[in-house]
Amino acid sequence: MVEITIRKRPQTEAVITQRKFFKKTARGKVVKVLRERYLRDDVACGIEGCRECSTELSRLLPPSGGLEHRLFPNGHYILPDTNVFLAQMDLIESSLFNPPMILLQTVLEEVRHRSLPLYNRLKALTKSEDKQIWVFYNEYRSQRNCHIFPEKDWKAPADEVVDQEAIQKNDDAEDSGEEGDENDEEVFSKESRVLSGSSNQKPPSERQPTGRIVGIIKRNWRAYVCHIDSTSIEHSHSNHIPLHSTVLCTPRILACSPEFAYWTVSAPDSPGYSKIFSYDVDRGTPFFGYSRRTLREGQEAEQESLLLEFEVPYRPFGKAILDCLPPEGEQWVVPPKGEFDLQNIWRDREDLRDVIVCSIDPPGCQDIDDALHAKLLPNGNIEAGVHIADVSHFVLPDNPMDSEAAARGTTVYLVDNRIDMLPSLLGTNLCSLRPFVERLAFSSIWELTADAEIVSVRFTKSVIKSKAAFTYEEAQIRKDDPNLHDKLTNSIRLLNTLAIKLKAKRMAAGALNLASPEVKIHLDSAESSDPIDVEQKELRETNSLVEEFMLLANISVARKIEESFPQTAVLRRHLPPPKTNFEKLQDILRKTKGFSLDVSSSGALAASLDECVDAREPAFNTLCGEGYLRYADVLVHRQLSAAIGSTPLHATLHSKSHVERVLDVVNRRHRMAQMAGRASVEFYVGLALKARGEQARARGEPDVREDAYVIRTFRNGVGVFVSKLGIEGLVTFKRDTQFDAENYTITVPGAKEEVKISVFDKVVVRIEVEKDKNTQRGKVKMTLVEPVDSSAF
Amino acid sequence: MTSASISKAEKSYIQAGLLTSPPRRADGRSLHDFRAIYLETGVAPLSNGSARLSIGRNPLDGSGGTEVLAAVKLEVENIEEQTLDGGRIACNVSCSPSAYPHLSSGALDDLQHDLTTVLHQTLSHPSLHPKNLGIIPRKKSWLLNLDLLVTAEAGNIYDALFLAARAALWDTKVPRTRSVEYKSPKTFLSASGDMDVDQDTRSGFDTRHVAHATDFELPDYWDEGEILEGRERWPVAVTLNLLHTAHFLDATLQEEASCASRLLVVYSHESPTAYTIQSMRMLGSDELSIPHLKKLIKEAEGYTRSMATSLTTKLEDEDFRRNQKAREKFGRRK
Repeated sequence: MVEITIRKRPQTEAVITQRKFFKKTARGKVVKVLRERYLRDDVACGIEGCRECSTELSRLLPPSGGLEHRLFPNGHYILPDTNVFLAQMDLIESSLFNPPMILLQTVLEEVRHRSLPLYNRLKALTKSEDKQIWVFYNEYRSQRNCHIFPEKDWKAPADEVVDQEAIQKNDDAEDSGEEGDENDEEVFSKESRVLSGSSNQKPPSERQPTGRIVGIIKRNWRAYVCHIDSTSIEHSHSNHIPLHSTVLCTPRILACSPEFAYWTVSAPDSPGYSKIFSYDVDRGTPFFGYSRRTLREGQEAEQESLLLEFEVPYRPFGKAILDCLPPEGEQWVVPPKGEFDLQNIWRDREDLRDVIVCSIDPPGCQDIDDALHAKLLPNGNIEAGVHIADVSHFVLPDNPMDSEAAARGTTVYLVDNRIDMLPSLLGTNLCSLRPFVERLAFSSIWELTADAEIVSVRFTKSVIKSKAAFTYEEAQIRKDDPNLHDKLTNSIRLLNTLAIKLKAKRMAAGALNLASPEVKIHLDSAESSDPIDVEQKELRETNSLVEEFMLLANISVARKIEESFPQTAVLRRHLPPPKTNFEKLQDILRKTKGFSLDVSSSGALAASLDECVDAREPAFNTLCGEGYLRYADVLVHRQLSAAIGSTPLHATLHSKSHVERVLDVVNRRHRMAQMAGRASVEFYVGLALKARGEQARARGEPDVREDAYVIRTFRNGVGVFVSKLGIEGLVTFKRDTQFDAENYTITVPGAKEEVKISVFDKVVVRIEVEKDKNTQRGKVKMTLVEPVDSSAF
Repeated sequence: MTSASISKAEKSYIQAGLLTSPPRRADGRSLHDFRAIYLETGVAPLSNGSARLSIGRNPLDGSGGTEVLAAVKLEVENIEEQTLDGGRIACNVSCSPSAYPHLSSGALDDLQHDLTTVLHQTLSHPSLHPKNLGIIPRKKSWLLNLDLLVTAEAGNIYDALFLAARAALWDTKVPRTRSVEYKSPKTFLSASGDMDVDQDTRSGFDTRHVAHATDFELPDYWDEGEILEGRERWPVAVTLNLLHTAHFLDATLQEEASCASRLLVVYSHESPTAYTIQSMRMLGSDELSIPHLKKLIKEAEGYTRSMATSLTTKLEDEDFRRNQKAREKFGRRK
């Protein structure tokens, strides 16, 4: 029988024979790499007559070493490192230079890694007859493997330690392969030079480290909307269509380099926006793929490019989706109770048609997603109810409409447009709790004491018939009118008193109010969508009334479904704000202490700042149960429906990973939608300002001036926030001012004396809109008027 | 987990033997004796820590006994909103079908799930959580996956699992990381004084983007990293097999089958004097009176303490064997 010999190193010698190291992958994971070390005892040092290593090979190095050099009369060997070969190859090759040389395998491999031609020349040298070069395979010699002590035990002189590190680095090169450490080193050296060079000129806080991109680890493909520079378009005179031409483009958002060449299959014939598919930094020159379509500039193009930019899906709904709607369409009504109720709509539904329910929404609101009611109970307590349109009745799990809604995630609000998550039949009709029609709803009904303590809460599916649809303003007027004592008015008053108490409680519990001002844009008429003016939205008592009850509903529902489905409950969570968020603000406040902070919003912020940092209130869970505008709400409706036992929970909602995946999409879409909304507001504010400027000129006033607050200071300007318009802007000075980065102040020369401006100071700015020459985009330009006129400098 | 099916006669014979005075067991042990435990660490070189443990292996031919393989794998995890800072621990027990040839795959799944639950609930408890599993605060941390594989079972699986888990966790080395901070030009705006009008779209009130480490790199280092913080705390379990008022330890499969209930007690012994009970579980159908239970818990502490002490000694010995000794041996080879 053949004897089997396993020639593998035993596990017990792992510490010697295995080399383990960690490697970080491009995706940020850490992998452990295991390499076997093939250590041999018969790797000879190549010196003739060596007692340690016996070898019968010819062409050994003389035992005495080279004796030619007069500084080393007792002989010496040359042990060069990689740099010698990289820089002095010609010298080594010279026939006049032939002392005995020991070439380490590590060095040889590093030379190969750095430069293949040099490596080939070196290889040839080791074989040539008139050189005495011995290649020592140091990596494979067993004695080479020694234990490295922990760093703290390193007692060697400093320069020796540095040497050792250098050796380790060389070792690494072999592992890290093609990662291009040449560049790294270059960057390191450059960086250190920059740092040491600038340190004597600038204080450390102003020093700016620099770097160079040496490689792209992960490409982040996305669409960019670019503006094509009209001057760069070649107008071909001949009849043939060029296969491709190059035009210059400017990305709409300047996140990347300001301008780059654009390679197109057929040149667009006019300037305008174009959608570009990819963008890629390659050897410093941006280069990118192809465009799908060209949009003419103008308001529509602006809006569309905005949607593209924020990846908002805005195509109309397809047939498969529309087929999921009730076939009756606009004519759909709640069937009468009893035998005509073929779809069993009334099953488990409470009849709340007689309850005095009303809705309060912004003016012109078409998707009335919530309605409220309140009434006194005989026992002195108050019954309050929040009714939310029952969208889950129409959107059944796992049909095309559901999938589309899940992909869209949320309804996107732009200034003049709304991108629906669900077909508008649902949003603006069947799921809109319009007055005087019967609608399906989800109701949460509380019994509260007069002090707004919750006695009980129940959830039910219901059919309601709203008695009125108010705007915030109408509701407010109705509430304040002392002559009105009808049921509806009393109900609003009751809700209002409860809301005030609920809010007081919430504030006492440490809730943080960090709202920025909302801006309302007046449009000329529904058709033209030319904005006339912009003003800050007014907040009435009734706004907070609705808000408070939605919050209450959210919290109650969240508790209920978390109880029922602890694994998959869809909850909204607010983590306590991290302390570091406010560190800079704290620093500014501390340094500019003594200035009165008359900005109400930032004042409130400062006050709540202490509160949230000290109190450390635990995260506060609410549910996204605000109607049906986000897909998460649809999920919540389904869960709640299952929690109250009216329908079984769909299988997908039992799977945690499925819910997580869906919510990832929803959260991303929501963020994008918010950004798109904000960008849309910004665009319209720009247009409105332009309109206002023109009006002002027509009336003979010089320009638009607004109060603003300084929020940042720079060497050559200040950042200001115009709270009335809700926009931020920059005031740039052409020349430098005295800038104090530590104290956030700048000093500018005034009419008589120097004026100091610091963060949170109130200033007056002149606002103009000028068109960017290239992108044709209106851009807000601000100049300081008070305390000093900055147009002079 | 009735893995051995035995006849009534056999059962009563074993019970009678255990209850006589002096008690008699098939392998001649006294009630509180353990079978021999074999332990080896560093058995899976690609893991971050590993151990193989067997209880009651035949020393002559290496057959029989309960055998458990434990390995720890660290994985970089991005901290999302729902995960907590400072890393997570996830335990998973799998049972090789060859260890339970009589179980259907469904029953095997149930068994795996039960074992996983006990291990995971005990070991991922915050009181045991090592402090060095974070990488970048609020950004990245290590997810410690502890996987245990039961390759053979001959009774007393819980004790074996906990011992193996402790050994693998003891052996675990967390790779050293160094935080890297990328600073975008924006954060330097105020410092450099240059102002790029177009780039600045961020609110001045938005102070959230205080420069912070965003990524990490792995410094070149000679060893595999640092040990888990507080590795002395990892607990040890003992299963008390209950038979009327008496109890015995380290039951074989037949003995397990012949006693109705078992009490699993898990203690953490941070030092010889400090100990905390980490978990307790009653397995089986019998009831237990509170005074009796208290007594058992107290006695269990003594057992786990001696187990923990000898395990720590063995683990230190293993560290020594794998490093110093191996090196010396290698050096002597020539």
